[in-house]
Amino acid sequence: MDSLQIGSYAFSSRLILGTGKFSNATVMVEAVRASGAQLVTVALRRFNREQAEDDLFGPLSAIEGITLMPNTSGASTAAEAVRAAHIARELSGSPFIKVEIHPNPQHLMPDPIETYEASRILAKEGFLVMPYIAADPVLAKRLEEVGCASVMPLGSAIGSGQGLATSEMLNIIIRESGIPVIVDAGLRSPSEAAHAMEMGCEAVLVNSAVAVAGNPPAMAEAFAEAVAAGRKAFRAGLMQKSGFAVATSPLTSFLGTR
Amino acid sequence: MTTLPKWLSDHRDTTELAAMLSLASSRSLETLAAESRAMTLRRFGRTMTLYAPLYLSNYCSSGCAYCGFASDRKMPRHRLEADDIRRELAAMKKLGISDILLLTGERTAAADFDYLQRSIAIAAEEMPRVSVEAFPMSVSEYRALADCGCTGITIYQETYNRERYETLHRWGPKKDFLARLETPARALEGGIKTVGLGVLLGLSNPVEDALSLYRHVRHLGRTYWRAGMSVSFPRMRPQTGGYEPPFPVDDLLLARIIFAFRIALPDTELVLSTRESATFRDGMAGLGITRMSIESRTTVGGYCESENEEHKEGTDKGQFEISDDRTAKEFCAALRRQNIEPVFKNWELSYNGPSSSITLEIQREEEQPCH
Repeated sequence: MDSLQIGSYAFSSRLILGTGKFSNATVMVEAVRASGAQLVTVALRRFNREQAEDDLFGPLSAIEGITLMPNTSGASTAAEAVRAAHIARELSGSPFIKVEIHPNPQHLMPDPIETYEASRILAKEGFLVMPYIAADPVLAKRLEEVGCASVMPLGSAIGSGQGLATSEMLNIIIRESGIPVIVDAGLRSPSEAAHAMEMGCEAVLVNSAVAVAGNPPAMAEAFAEAVAAGRKAFRAGLMQKSGFAVATSPLTSFLGTR
Repeated sequence: MTTLPKWLSDHRDTTELAAMLSLASSRSLETLAAESRAMTLRRFGRTMTLYAPLYLSNYCSSGCAYCGFASDRKMPRHRLEADDIRRELAAMKKLGISDILLLTGERTAAADFDYLQRSIAIAAEEMPRVSVEAFPMSVSEYRALADCGCTGITIYQETYNRERYETLHRWGPKKDFLARLETPARALEGGIKTVGLGVLLGLSNPVEDALSLYRHVRHLGRTYWRAGMSVSFPRMRPQTGGYEPPFPVDDLLLARIIFAFRIALPDTELVLSTRESATFRDGMAGLGITRMSIESRTTVGGYCESENEEHKEGTDKGQFEISDDRTAKEFCAALRRQNIEPVFKNWELSYNGPSSSITLEIQREEEQPCH
């Protein structure tokens, strides 16, 4: 069976869902169910043990068949992310941690230096570390070397809906990586998710595109189908692209053939 | 007279914003609203983060012509002691609040730095996110606040028109225009994570003030790239001192300013307080504003007072009159009807403390001279 393998975990769904930005927890839970996602990320800062109505962890942990991947969104340094990871593991019991460190809270671009440092520490401590990074092929390899379970390069800026603006770099990362590459952030439409899967990504993470859609559960389902189709296409082997017509060989006919 | 910083008159940045703010703008208010709404939805989703103010003290040493707490106003003055603060926090937690703004007047002997620092430490035991709107401080004072759990500060310039500023701030430490202008930078230098800026609309030409405010945000963003920033749009309301705003801002202009800021600053938190009416706040919720105060009391000790109804009579006048006096529950219900989720907790204690990075610390250690 074709499954997404992260550490010792296997998932049949290759769509990972984010849980922010929804209009309420009920719609969010419906979207998670409709997506068929088995790995779902939630920000530690949205855990609220004192007020059930404001809490995202409670409703998510009631969904059967999903594994939670807490994230450190809000942390601006490695030290903060490491502290957050410890708290998140204690509260959720999940071995997964999505390291998300954006020191500039305006554009939310990940800090490569702090992310590397936090990932190194957390991987050593036994977490399944899933770092959110810019689409930087060298950083991706460095994170693989320190024991990350996957790398999660961005397709474009978080919440921008600009799609696979970084596809050139993503291609290099996918070609070189020994760990699953998961495109995270920037996807707007299911076709973009399918494209990412056709490129050879092991999974995609989507949040805004589903949360702010007119009908979030329906959009979640559409993404699930696109991801499955893209994966199927990748496995089937896409036809080679060529920019030239190659009906005859006028340039090389002088070489003779056989 | 010391000269104004160059960034304050940097017009390159503001051409687009100025065009949107002009009443002769080619883009109608409706077009701006549609654009602003789409940008807000994309970046912030269908959510609204909520906070509430907690007035620690109404002592003040300044003579701001427009403020109900100015030092020449004849009114009872008090400050909350540690136990009062704990009681207020408990009352606020019952309302679900987990993000608070502590307020004082300008620095006085009764409410000085030590008092503020102690109060923050108490609040940080209960609340994941504690911000402060008090008096300008030094870099080392801000560092000390960050160390004891202060996440952000709010400091409004009130007006960026220096002449108007100096007329309105009749005496006291707040009279120094430049000292106040440089305060957000000092806070960020001291490791405070977020700064809230704003002008008090009504004091001076609102469009000019809005453009200067934008330049301030851009200047700080370029200088302190880790800075979190929010912009508020407080509008003068009738004060206890009976001050009539000389440049009143109507709903249409305020809406235009908010839309234009959202379009010009797509990633910045925009704040609207209970100074505004329920109708205006509900209307602006999906259109550009991403952070609101709830169930505010602008009197010292206001949360416990409203729990004990019998104490209500004869209580103080607040710093300003609340317009949206709905309860947290009513307010959240109105947001939910609009398909917007009220978010009480959007922060983690573990993200507090000065915003220094591991790698920067290593660099600093390496820079220490060897002996």
